[in-house]
Amino acid sequence: MKSLSVIAALLGLLAAGPCSAFSTVALPADFKPPPVFKNNMLVHVISVEKTYAKEQINVMLENVSDEPQSEYFLPFTAEQIARVGAVEAKDRKDDTIGPFGVDLVEYDALSDVQYYRITLPSPLKAGGQYPLAVSWVYLNSYRPLPASIGQDEQQFLVYDFSLFAPSAYTTLKQKTEVKFSTVTIPDYTTTFGPEGQEYPQKVGSKMLYGPFDEQPAGAFFPAQVRFEFTKPVIHVSTLERDIEVSHWGGNVAFEERYTLYHLGANLSTQFNRVKWAQSQFYNPASTALKELKFPLQIGSVDPYFTDAIGNVSTSRFRSSKREAMLELKPRYPVFGGWKYPFTIGWNTNAANVLRNTADGGHVLKIPFFEGPRQAEGVEYGEVNVRVLLPEGSENVKYYTSIPDSSIVEHSVDVHKTYLDTIGRTSVTIKAKNLGDEFRYRDLVITYETPLAGTLRKPVVVFASMLAVYAAAWALGKVQVGFSSK
Amino acid sequence: MAAKTQGPAVGYTTESTRTLLRVVILCFIAAAAISSRLFSVIRFESIIHEFDPWFNFRATKYLVANGFHKFWDWFDDRTWHPLGRVTGGTLYPGLMVTSGAIYHALRTLTIPVDIRNICVLLAPACSGLTAFATYLLTNEMTTSPSAGLLAAVFMGIAPGYISRSVAGSYDNEAIAIFLLVFTFYLWIKALKLGSMLWGALCALFYGYMVASWGGYAFITCLLPVHALVLIAMGRYSTRLYVSYTTWYALGTLASMQIPFVGFLPIKTSEHMPALGIFGFIQLIGFIQYVRSAISGRQFQTFLVTILVATFGLGLLGLVALTSLGYVAPWSGRFYSLWDTGYAKIHIPIIASVSEHQPTAWPSFFFDLNFLIWLFPAGVYLCFQDLKDEHVFVVVYALFGSYFAGVMVRLMLTLTPVVCVAAAMAASQILDTYLSWKSATPVEEQEAPKKVKGGLRGSDKPNVGIYSNLTKVMVSGSMLVYLLMFVSHCTWVTSNAYSSPSVVLASRMPDGSQHIIDDYREAYQWLRQNTKEDAKVMSWWDYGYQIGGMADRPTLVDNNTWNNTHIATVGKAMSSREEVSYPIMRQHEVDYVLVVFGALLGYSGDDINKFLWMVRIAEGIWPDEVKERDFFTPQGEYRVDEGATETMKNSLMYKMSYYNYASLFPAGQAADRVRGVRIPDQGPVLNTLEEAFTSENWIIRIYKVKDLDNIGRDHANAAAFERGQKKKKPTKKRGARVLRVD
Repeated sequence: MKSLSVIAALLGLLAAGPCSAFSTVALPADFKPPPVFKNNMLVHVISVEKTYAKEQINVMLENVSDEPQSEYFLPFTAEQIARVGAVEAKDRKDDTIGPFGVDLVEYDALSDVQYYRITLPSPLKAGGQYPLAVSWVYLNSYRPLPASIGQDEQQFLVYDFSLFAPSAYTTLKQKTEVKFSTVTIPDYTTTFGPEGQEYPQKVGSKMLYGPFDEQPAGAFFPAQVRFEFTKPVIHVSTLERDIEVSHWGGNVAFEERYTLYHLGANLSTQFNRVKWAQSQFYNPASTALKELKFPLQIGSVDPYFTDAIGNVSTSRFRSSKREAMLELKPRYPVFGGWKYPFTIGWNTNAANVLRNTADGGHVLKIPFFEGPRQAEGVEYGEVNVRVLLPEGSENVKYYTSIPDSSIVEHSVDVHKTYLDTIGRTSVTIKAKNLGDEFRYRDLVITYETPLAGTLRKPVVVFASMLAVYAAAWALGKVQVGFSSK
Repeated sequence: MAAKTQGPAVGYTTESTRTLLRVVILCFIAAAAISSRLFSVIRFESIIHEFDPWFNFRATKYLVANGFHKFWDWFDDRTWHPLGRVTGGTLYPGLMVTSGAIYHALRTLTIPVDIRNICVLLAPACSGLTAFATYLLTNEMTTSPSAGLLAAVFMGIAPGYISRSVAGSYDNEAIAIFLLVFTFYLWIKALKLGSMLWGALCALFYGYMVASWGGYAFITCLLPVHALVLIAMGRYSTRLYVSYTTWYALGTLASMQIPFVGFLPIKTSEHMPALGIFGFIQLIGFIQYVRSAISGRQFQTFLVTILVATFGLGLLGLVALTSLGYVAPWSGRFYSLWDTGYAKIHIPIIASVSEHQPTAWPSFFFDLNFLIWLFPAGVYLCFQDLKDEHVFVVVYALFGSYFAGVMVRLMLTLTPVVCVAAAMAASQILDTYLSWKSATPVEEQEAPKKVKGGLRGSDKPNVGIYSNLTKVMVSGSMLVYLLMFVSHCTWVTSNAYSSPSVVLASRMPDGSQHIIDDYREAYQWLRQNTKEDAKVMSWWDYGYQIGGMADRPTLVDNNTWNNTHIATVGKAMSSREEVSYPIMRQHEVDYVLVVFGALLGYSGDDINKFLWMVRIAEGIWPDEVKERDFFTPQGEYRVDEGATETMKNSLMYKMSYYNYASLFPAGQAADRVRGVRIPDQGPVLNTLEEAFTSENWIIRIYKVKDLDNIGRDHANAAAFERGQKKKKPTKKRGARVLRVD
């Protein structure tokens, strides 16, 4: 009953009120981060193992001002800010100090430098040091080079970055580490360190640049790596996820609509079926997306896989006590530059995800989004989750462990469907720029359903049927036409 | 059920029990009718079938998305590129409007039903209504209480009707047959009662029918013929006058509201009988009035004068108007109803459709089973008391049989009358042989379910059946026939009429079902990975599907309104690349789609349809495309090594077999449809490149190459790509001679 204890713990959280979601801070147009910090030692880890780039900086902060400080600013270029997502800040030493508040700074929309503001849990006293870890992901982070390849050729991607970590403060010493999923890295930027040593050092599928000596705020050193990535570059521009909770049916229905693109290298010639059919015997690494595997929650039933023109028969569902794996094959292999939108859905017994609390309320705990499990990763431009609660639900509270900085919008509305009279309470949460490592982050919703709301529908349906019969009977009694008598 | 039949007791409770029982039975019949049409939904999925339904579906989606007024004024620039089609004015909107109305009604009740599901299930739902309408119509014909129910069952499950109304077969016929039968019922009702109200109702449903299906002309011709026969039989009555006049006046006005019909009811020959009888009936009405006013002798003279004058003037007027072009002569499709060979010679496009072929006689049995031999018996029974309504059945039976023999698809209009007549015959037999009034009543346990209260027959003074053995044998054999009918209908529906034809089913070696989904694979690829306005050229059969599933503009589609345009596509397909390429460039074609079944043995492919393309193209360009050139000197249509040069160089042949041989080891490339070996050296394409081929090669899509960058022609450019040396003209050297000094 671990999940129950988790729920109990979360309930304590929820008591505080609805989740603090994405917020922005408005600052004057001529804002500049005050130089109150110094980065003593900074390690910049860039991971290009998946279809999206993940960056992390581990930094030892020092407050160099005279007053306690709690706001640390992290700069991005204007071009990056649209693609960056899931900015999460933590204490590097102590995991229990939860994710810190991260806000997008709104000050001058035209400026080339934009900031995220990280609020430390407690102000750092003058001269004090603090180990901070910040991570984020970039979407659309690569470009294929060559931009078009043959159907059976290897794909190479290029990633542009700065050898110096983005910082609004002076950095005394820093290192940059790039992680790959391959050892085939034909091209990369080389440079020399302060003592003339050659960078980077290659260790297996890693590259180490640095250490570098002191750099001023905003220092930038353009660098580029080109690496082999003969896998699909899957980009889901929008994922719409609907969850419908039915108390009468004891069922929770999921439906997900994916708009999927392959952002890898385009085909240099047209698709050749003969070549494709022949290569299938050897099953070589290919940039084409052939299969998507969705590990659904155990106990999921009735899955379906459709697209704009109906059911796609090439899917398989393996369900057992240990797994519920939905394996989908798109209608055609998806190559670079191609698109394949589709819909999947399934049901699950409400008992798997819904609990009643002692005081008559309900707690729904589901993953914020699930998505396919692909070794190469999947990036999500937009994730819109909508949860339809039973008609008449009230006192709705929700919480999600998706990074706040990725949540764009959240609201509680009313949605009318299936013979509703007052409509169902719906919770809508929109998030952007996420990688598939944030799958299974929780979404917890608590709500109450008064008895009147539960009984409303059967009563209304019964009454209207009665009314129809009564009307039919009354109409049957009406004498139409002229009686000859 | 037998317990309910306690003689003609006229008790209130018995009466209401019977009514309740009837309602329950009718509900069961409707349920049986609906559920027998759901084979394809259960076996495959809720999907729109075949070709035309895809257009109706697309139009319905347009209606739901854009509202009625936009739909009415819809100009579709995504078909018949570059001409476009005034879709709103050239379709029968009844079907789409019905689905749209259901959709909005359900939405008002906040039931979120997908428009596709409404479209898929509309035909089965209407079949339930058709069964009910047949029940009403039959009840007008006979006093037997069981005939109506039998007719409803027959109508509900007769394959002749199921063929056009399975779930997913979202075609005009889906609702039109219900409207047809119901209109006939209202007509009979109006005629019997001489009621203007029923006449107006009849006109209303006639209007709905006109809005739904081109087959409305059948009603337009049948009702006047019925009226004429009645008049000729000396059965003119004010009832006939009132009902016919009401129907014609209101019905014609209603039909003229449909843009596609417009002024046709007063301009084309198909509609002239109705107009003529309308005038004639006025005349007779007038004469009847005069007869009551003037003396006998004067009346004689008056009658002769007026008849001769009217007929002469009417005929002259019609001939004059026709020759002046105000009244259109019979259309080609109509001619082919009289002369089955007409279409083959003059309009290959009509003849190329399989459902326009004359009916083979086994298909009567296939579609109607034992109804077909009960049918004459029922018609004979109509002659027995021959009231006005029986004359209708006789006339309908006559015309229906003729048309059903001429065109396969018109089996549909015959089915209702067959069901009515057969039900009358069957109920007559059952009523007679299941009668209790004999010397010793017998317990008849085998009484078929739908038959009840078989006592009315005994009201008449009648010779009874005295031997129980006879009763048991006759009703027993009838029961066997009925059971065989049910099993036959189920078998036919399940095997012949429930394939969506968009997806094909096959069996894996272990017996599990494997779905071959090449059509949708290719259409989805087109939809997702080509430009929004990429023009797709294909044979017209696939036009509606491409529009509906791939959502791409097409050159020609199943509407076939422009023969020349279709012939242009036919010419492009059947000519050499050098001829086809300019045609494709002129029509801004981006992709060409062909259907190719050789790998799978799918026989409905383009190579098998190819001769029709050739014929249709030949009709317009007899000098450039010749059917004869596609046959070998021995007169064979071959695709293997022995194919003619014209065949091998035609675009269709090249697109079909391009690269096909490379799928096989050398010398083993085979065409499984035509059962021949294909040469290893496949055709060479210069102006097109293969863009997509579906998993089982059923659909092949080619991209039309742009003009060459450096101005070479495509043949040279392609040869260069292949690395072939440019052939240099060899220089003529003089004869070698020894050097002489």
